[in-house]
Amino acid sequence: MEWANDGKSKGGVLAHLERLEIQVNRSRKNLEDPQRAQAVESALGTKIHKLRCLRDELRAEVKQRQARVKASTVNVEPDQTLEISEQEVVERRKENVKAILQAYRFTGLSGKLTSRGVCVCISTAFEGNLLDSYFIDLVIQKPLRIHHHSIPVFIPLEEISAKYLQTNIQHFLFCLCEYLNAYAGRKYQADRLQSDFAAFLAGPLRRNSLCNLLSFTYKVEPQGQSFPFCARLLYKDLTTALPTDVTVTYQGMDALSPAWEEQRASHENLFFSKPLHQVFTSFARKGEKLDMSPVS
Amino acid sequence: MDETLAEFIKRTILKIPMTEMMTVLKAWDFLSEKQLQTVNFRQRKEPLVHDLVLLCEEKRASVHDAALLDIIYTQFHRHQKVWDVFQMSKEPGEDIDLFDMEQFKSSFVKILRRALKNVTVSFRDAEENSVWIRIAWGTQYRKPNQYKPVYVVYYSQTPYVFTSCCQLKSNIPLLGQALTVASNHHKIVKMDLRSRYLDSLKAIVFKQYNQNFETHNTAMPLQERTLELDIHMDSRIIHENRIEKERVQRVTQEAFGNYPQPRLEFAQYKLETKFKSDFNGDILAERKEPLRCLIKFSSPHLLEALKALAPAGIADAPLSPLLTCIPNKGMNYFKIRDK
Repeated sequence: MEWANDGKSKGGVLAHLERLEIQVNRSRKNLEDPQRAQAVESALGTKIHKLRCLRDELRAEVKQRQARVKASTVNVEPDQTLEISEQEVVERRKENVKAILQAYRFTGLSGKLTSRGVCVCISTAFEGNLLDSYFIDLVIQKPLRIHHHSIPVFIPLEEISAKYLQTNIQHFLFCLCEYLNAYAGRKYQADRLQSDFAAFLAGPLRRNSLCNLLSFTYKVEPQGQSFPFCARLLYKDLTTALPTDVTVTYQGMDALSPAWEEQRASHENLFFSKPLHQVFTSFARKGEKLDMSPVS
Repeated sequence: MDETLAEFIKRTILKIPMTEMMTVLKAWDFLSEKQLQTVNFRQRKEPLVHDLVLLCEEKRASVHDAALLDIIYTQFHRHQKVWDVFQMSKEPGEDIDLFDMEQFKSSFVKILRRALKNVTVSFRDAEENSVWIRIAWGTQYRKPNQYKPVYVVYYSQTPYVFTSCCQLKSNIPLLGQALTVASNHHKIVKMDLRSRYLDSLKAIVFKQYNQNFETHNTAMPLQERTLELDIHMDSRIIHENRIEKERVQRVTQEAFGNYPQPRLEFAQYKLETKFKSDFNGDILAERKEPLRCLIKFSSPHLLEALKALAPAGIADAPLSPLLTCIPNKGMNYFKIRDK
C-alpha cells in the first residue's frame, strides 16, 4: 500500500477505498489463476535450477583450474625440496665434523684453536681405561708461552718447557704426554690396589704425589695364615708405569723357609713385570699358577 | 695427666663451636663412640667441656693427643691464622724425588730435636698427599709453649710450604732447615705472599685458579656478558656508552679471566720512587731523593674488588699491571723502585 509522503492518502477516503478494491482484485486474480501462479512458480524454479547448474559448473571449473595450478607447481616443488635436503646434508656434515673433533680426545692429544693460540688437551689412559685430561693453553707469540694450564704442580712442567717449548713444540707435547700418562698409570694402579684389594693389605698404602714410591704390607691370602710381606716399589723413571726398584721383605724374626723364600723372590719379579693390581688379581685366584709372562 | 695438659685440652675444646663439636671429636677419634654416648651434648658448653676433659683424663690423653686435637681445630678454622708461603729449590740435575712420608717426618723431627730438645712436633696426614705439622717451641730450659704453635702445611713433591705466621722469629731458620733437608731440597726462600685463605694461596702458587679451558666438548665457554639495557635512555646515548662498556668488559676479562678469583685480603706496595708531578715548581718534584711511602689496598676479597673497579666506572681500564699481576706473580707485597 502506498501512502503519500505526507502520511495522508491522496484523494481522501474514497480514493483509498478504490485502491483497496484494486488490491483485492489483484489478489483474487492470483487466487483465481493458480495456473498462472504456478507458471510463475515454475519459471522461478527453473531459474533457480539454472542458476544452481551454473554455480556447479563454475565450481567445477575453479577446481579444475586449481588442480592445474597444483600440477604445474608440483614440477616446481622438487627443486625446493632439493634445496632443503642440501641444507640438511650440510647440517649433518657439520654435526659429523663436530663429533669427530670431540672424539679426537680419545687419541690422547687434541686441541682447539683459541683467540690467542691453541688449547691443547692431553687425555691420559692406562690399559684401555680413559683417565684424567690435562690442558695447556698456549699463546702463539714470539716467544711461545703458556697462558695457563691444569698440569699438577709436581709434574716437572718448567723443566720440560725450558728444554723443548721454544725449539720443538712437538717434542714438548709428546714429552708431557709421556709424563702425564705414566703418572696417570701409576696413580690408577695405586688407587686400584687401595680400593679393590684392601683385604690383602695389612695397614695403609704409603704413597706420594707422583705415586713413584709405594710402600705396603700385604698377605697373599687375606684370611689365611700366610706371612705378611713388606713391599717397597720405586719408580725412578717418571715416564713409565712399572717400577724400577722392587724390594719384598719379610717382617719377622725367624728366617724364611725355602718355600716362602721362593715365593718372596717370585713376588719381587711379579711386581717388576706386571701392573700392581694385576699382581693382586693373580693372588686372588687362589691355587692358580702364577703367570710369569711379561706385560703385553 | 697433669694440670697444664688438662687445662690445655680444656681450652682447646672450649674454642670449638657447639655446632662443630661432634664433627671435630669424631675426626679426633680419641674418645670412643661409647664414651661419647655417655656425655650429654645438650647441656651448656662449660659443663660439657668439663665432662669431656674428665673422659680424656680417664683415657690418659697425652700431649700428642692434645696436639692432634689442636691440629684438627686449626684445620677447621684455618682462616683464623695468617699464612706465609715459602719456596724451596733444588740443585739442577738432581735425582728424581722419591718422597717417603715416613722418612720425611722422622728426618724433620730429628733435625728439630738436634737443635732444640724442648719441642713438640705432631703430624696429621691430609688430602692430596699433604701433611699438617704442628710445632710447639720451647727453649733449653722451658717446656714447649702449647699455646703458640706454628703450623706447617706441605704437599709432597712440591716446592711450596705454607706456614702460619710465627711469632718467635728466631725459630724460622731452624724450621726452614728442617723442611729443606727432610724434603730433599737445597734452599728455602720466603715469598712475598701472605693471606688468611690457605686454599687461595695454594691455588695461586700451584697455578690452579684458572680452570677454564676451551675444548670441542663444551659449549662456547667464553660468553660475553650481555649488558643491561636501560630502555629509558636515549638510544643514541646507549650506543655510545655501550661501546665503551664493552671495551671495559673485554679488557677486564683479558686481565682477570672468567673464573672466581683467589681470595686475598690485601696488597701492599712499598714505593721508593721519585715523585712525578705535572705541576712545575711543585716542592715534592724538586727532590732528588726518592719519596718513600706505603700503599695498602684492603678488602674482604681484594681481587674481586679490583676486577669490579673498571666496570663500576671507578677506575680506568686497563688497570695497572701492578694490580693485575698479583695471582700470576704470586705476590701481594711489592717493593717498587725507579729503574
